[in-house]
Amino acid sequence: MTAYLEIRDVHKDFSGLQVLTGINLAIREGERHALIGPNGAGKTTLFNIISGKYRPSSGSIIFRGQEIAGKPPHVINRIGMARSFQITNVFHELTVFENVMAGVRSRAGLRYNFFRRPEANSYLVQKVEDILKNVGLLDVKDIPASALSYGQQRALELGIALSTEPEIILLDEPTAGMTREETEQAIKLIDRVTKGRTLIIIEHDMDVVFSLADIISVLHYGTIIASDVPEKIRTDQRVKDAYLGEG
Amino acid sequence: MKAKISLILPIISVLVLLLLMPLVLKNYHLNILTEIIIFALYAVSYNLLLGYAGLLSFGHAMFFGLAAFVTGIAIIHLKGIGMITAIFLGVFSAFLAGVVIGSLLLRHKGSYFALLTLAFNALFYAVATKWHSVTGGDDGLNVPRPELNVIFAKIPVETVPQFYYFTLIVLGIVILFVWFFTRTAMGKTVLLMRENEERMKFIGYSTNLSRLILFIFTGTLAGLAGAFYTLHFRFVSISAISVEMTTVVLLMTFVGGTRTFWGPILGVFVYIILQNYLSDITDRWPLFMGLIFVFMVLFIPGGLSGFIMDMKERVAKKREVALEGNQL
Repeated sequence: MTAYLEIRDVHKDFSGLQVLTGINLAIREGERHALIGPNGAGKTTLFNIISGKYRPSSGSIIFRGQEIAGKPPHVINRIGMARSFQITNVFHELTVFENVMAGVRSRAGLRYNFFRRPEANSYLVQKVEDILKNVGLLDVKDIPASALSYGQQRALELGIALSTEPEIILLDEPTAGMTREETEQAIKLIDRVTKGRTLIIIEHDMDVVFSLADIISVLHYGTIIASDVPEKIRTDQRVKDAYLGEG
Repeated sequence: MKAKISLILPIISVLVLLLLMPLVLKNYHLNILTEIIIFALYAVSYNLLLGYAGLLSFGHAMFFGLAAFVTGIAIIHLKGIGMITAIFLGVFSAFLAGVVIGSLLLRHKGSYFALLTLAFNALFYAVATKWHSVTGGDDGLNVPRPELNVIFAKIPVETVPQFYYFTLIVLGIVILFVWFFTRTAMGKTVLLMRENEERMKFIGYSTNLSRLILFIFTGTLAGLAGAFYTLHFRFVSISAISVEMTTVVLLMTFVGGTRTFWGPILGVFVYIILQNYLSDITDRWPLFMGLIFVFMVLFIPGGLSGFIMDMKERVAKKREVALEGNQL
């Protein structure tokens, strides 16, 4: 069976500093894939390369049969991939509604149109409201994103990622900075809204990782040292040495 | 529905008021009002860059001035040219300049963008100054106002009220379209550019294309204002394409405030009235204009429209507090 997203021998160095040293990863359609590893292992860099923010120094990435390595982010997004950011990255002075509408209308091809008003399209408005309802922000849709609480901003971050109806979604530490309770809520939310999509998630919280993921890959010094089902990862000696530690 | 009425009512009242102006105003003031409408379009187009997209340009006069010159030169050299053709040629030249310069600038932002626009403007200015045989250099060009033929009817635009109506109708419609534009998909995309260029890429927008489209659009609008500038004054000189002409629109926009659509229009109105008034009473009017702007930047950085919006909000809040007090 061919992989849905295949990363082949991806290297990345930043002016001599080797951050990724040959990443190979195959992700199947519908899989929930967690990426774990110590700080500085290259997880976010790998996300940045998959989503088009950076070009890989070498290697190739095949998504839905197309080579996407080195393509700009907006092209990769249109093929069906979306991502969230570790540090909240929303349109601060726009309303919550406008934040999500930006992605919804982009998906509908209403990006540069001079004559059509997205707000006048009830189909699009309905879609935005569905997403807002899904991430629990419908009540605050008319306030600027900057006025949201931290937890709400994280939910909006997720809402924006969902707004272009991606087939595959990359979440970069969606629960960063959350309390235990908030994290539990967020995980339920993520679990619900990513149903039917392929998910790659970077996460530090091991409870989250082990409860959510079908497959876990462990990144260590720019290379994947293990990639397997959670039970196997838990008992893998190399992973224990590198990351999980002796329990 | 209520929101719609509260939006459209002020627009209609202003339009009616403007249509009645020739009955009230003498030619001298009507001329000033015509100038205000021309600069209103110029400032509105500039604010799409500054206020809506967050791009500081020091080169907007290159579009304004280029179209002003092309319109003037076309009228002088092409015998029997009609007004519409002359305007079209001017606007089209600004459009082309937008395409070429926009393509060269679209990867730059912030201070690089500002400095590059300044450099391009200086280049245009240098060409206009040196190419004396075509542009008239420092002396400028006297440009007769050609005939306005719409289909087969000849519309008179010679007198001050006639040209005022012509300007009001054409530029009024364009300004209304720009207002509509700010609510369309592309208009909203411009806001995304200001708010978070990084993020918009990851939801499918090409920031380069967005920037190019905006640059061409605003350049073309400035060009239309420039064409009318030549027709209105029946004269064009290098001051139309100077960096000063950019700083003027920057000041007008800033005085009016960048956060609303109508702010720059208010800014133009205040700026031109003030300039006329001050220059009547003193030769040192630029000094007083300067002092007023320094005062504004220091104490009302949101511009006049920002100030008015703040006041409105305060009044609304007071009313709310008063209402709550009554309920208690």
